[in-house]
Amino acid sequence: MISCTDFIPAYSELFKFLEQKGGQEAVHDFWNYLSDRFLTNLRDLVAEHGIRGCWLYWSHTLNEEAADFTMELDEEAGEFSITMHQCPSKGRLLACSHLEPYHDYCGHCAILYKRVLEPLGYEYAIDLSEVDRAACRVVVRKAGKG
Amino acid sequence: MAKEVMRRTASDNEYLHKDFHGSMSVGIDYLDAHYGPEAVRDYLRQFTASYFAPLIERVKMEGLTPLKEHFERLYAVEGAAIEARLSRDELVIRVAACPAVTHMRACGYPVARLFSETTRTVNEALCEGTPYAAELIEYDEDTGRSVQRFFRRAS
Repeated sequence: MISCTDFIPAYSELFKFLEQKGGQEAVHDFWNYLSDRFLTNLRDLVAEHGIRGCWLYWSHTLNEEAADFTMELDEEAGEFSITMHQCPSKGRLLACSHLEPYHDYCGHCAILYKRVLEPLGYEYAIDLSEVDRAACRVVVRKAGKG
Repeated sequence: MAKEVMRRTASDNEYLHKDFHGSMSVGIDYLDAHYGPEAVRDYLRQFTASYFAPLIERVKMEGLTPLKEHFERLYAVEGAAIEARLSRDELVIRVAACPAVTHMRACGYPVARLFSETTRTVNEALCEGTPYAAELIEYDEDTGRSVQRFFRRAS
């Protein structure tokens, strides 16, 4: 068994393996597949609760992942955001001295969640400019409110 | 409606997100469906050789004790009881129920057809280049209950 605490390096190595097999296209194809097959809980929560569904979803995952973050929800403005001060996943990869992280590791966050949220009427934007220090920012807005 | 804010630091929570097992299962399923079962094994061998390189080096130098400690730690983190019996040239691990399979079954996540390879192939890859070999003696697909054996290769 691969422990869930060893999953992130396993995930990063899977992206590398897929890129060896079929280039970046193969990696993106897998991210789309994972989004469709596994993010049904995010889809269901947002479909039922609107933008609060994002709050409910990430309240669960980010706490279990022991992330260092600030999450904000403004239902009146139709906006939800995550300011990730220290991403536990990227942080673990950067701390693992004998393993080189997949070069676009954080790219999966851009594809997985956008694919769920946009068809539900939300804009999903992610700023990955500081991922080298395991930081990023996500903003989800009701489409047409930005 | 008031604005809501949640601020957390890493030390506020324990790092234990068992849904990652579900993501792993989807990854195994994807490789199996798109590239075939040998790609699943190739990937797991490549991951193990890279990520567990320090552990494999310790097995080469110190024998089976580091492997026993690895499995005790791994299953303890997941809250699963195991029995690990170590003799001079053999380590037998008995797992009553795989915590990954237990979590996925409880959540209704599909368990990949080749999910057992995350035990069989990973264990075999942990022995690559060492004097030892691994075999998965028993594995129950429903619960992940298993008997895993590591032993010195015949020279």
